[in-house]
Amino acid sequence: MEKILVVQPEKCTGCRTCELVCSFVHTGEFNPLRSRITVFNFEKVGLATPIVCQQCSVAACMEVCPVGAITRDEETGAMLVSHDRCLRCKMCTIACPFGATIYDPVSDIISKCDLCGGDPQCVQYCPSGAITYQDPIKANLAKRKNYAEKLRVVYEEVV
Amino acid sequence: MQIIIDGKKIDAVYGDTILETCRKADIYIPTLCYHEAFGGQGRCRLCMVELEKEGQKKMVAACTYPITEKIEVRTSTPLIKKTRRNIIMLLYKRAPNSLLLQKLFREYECQDNSLKEDPAERCILCNLCVQACQEIGSNAISLIMRGTDKRVASPYDEASEACTGCGACALICPTAAIEMVEEGNKRSIWNKTFELLACERCGKLYTTKEQWEFTAKKNNACASDRQLCESCRKKAVAEKIKAYQAAEH
Repeated sequence: MEKILVVQPEKCTGCRTCELVCSFVHTGEFNPLRSRITVFNFEKVGLATPIVCQQCSVAACMEVCPVGAITRDEETGAMLVSHDRCLRCKMCTIACPFGATIYDPVSDIISKCDLCGGDPQCVQYCPSGAITYQDPIKANLAKRKNYAEKLRVVYEEVV
Repeated sequence: MQIIIDGKKIDAVYGDTILETCRKADIYIPTLCYHEAFGGQGRCRLCMVELEKEGQKKMVAACTYPITEKIEVRTSTPLIKKTRRNIIMLLYKRAPNSLLLQKLFREYECQDNSLKEDPAERCILCNLCVQACQEIGSNAISLIMRGTDKRVASPYDEASEACTGCGACALICPTAAIEMVEEGNKRSIWNKTFELLACERCGKLYTTKEQWEFTAKKNNACASDRQLCESCRKKAVAEKIKAYQAAEH
């Protein structure tokens, strides 16, 4: 089964290493503006979270593309852009509800997360383990455990 | 099936064009009017190759010739080189103001001649812009007139209702012949002026109103939200996460 990028905002320190790694891997320069992942810091509440393409199962970017330039990679499940096929009409950048598909004017391509071909570098370099690349079932199990734990705390408070 | 290209045996798929097969095998054939999204058009003729079939030789456009039988292809014989040089010369004479063709003219060592030229012309009538507009579904421009008067235009050279101002035609044009001017919050292309849509939050001008509506009609994922630019849309998602986390604690 294909793995997914799992973001845990409670672990993110807001260091933006993922942005630098992403832009370096894809463009050869350390420029957060050209990164495919973006970190948002909310200092007042002490929360930071990276936002990245969700590789949606029904993807708006793929649906609006007039020439079928965005397709799903069968191995990794990532939505990939064929730059040779793309017309640069930028409809995908307008359609994406997460704003995760952007036009990069420097290299004249539509740039979006491609999961680095199955080895996401943001995961490799995230110092706090806020971004992980794992089996969706395991990721869900962690969420369930988390939720069960909360129920236990509430239960103990009541009893 | 197997065919021979430049003396090498190459695996080809039945029905694929010679150009597609060469691209897969990393054999270079120059093109101007070819785009992967539309396939071959056979307009610029730059991809001419020599074909040998049952002992007979002929020249064909590689981008439109489908491989259906055992053939031998040669991509850079003296005849092909001469033909390409002639084609570049003619295209340059057609569009002398194009930087790309000026460069190709020098690269192919073409000789200038007394053919009449329009010094301001940049279009080589490759039809890519028309194809792109058609694929997108706007059909705002087309080739009009015939013979030497042929050119790309919107209907009656007026502002077309169908044009959404996306600019795909200008970006796909190999010779930069289509002018798209952005001044302030206005974008002009094909005799039509568009008002650029500002992000409701940061004010960044990110598309035209027409293109936003066109995209929303195709997929309503963006229509439900406010009109936000890409970065503000990301921020909106991050804020939702923030609200969720705050509610949890």
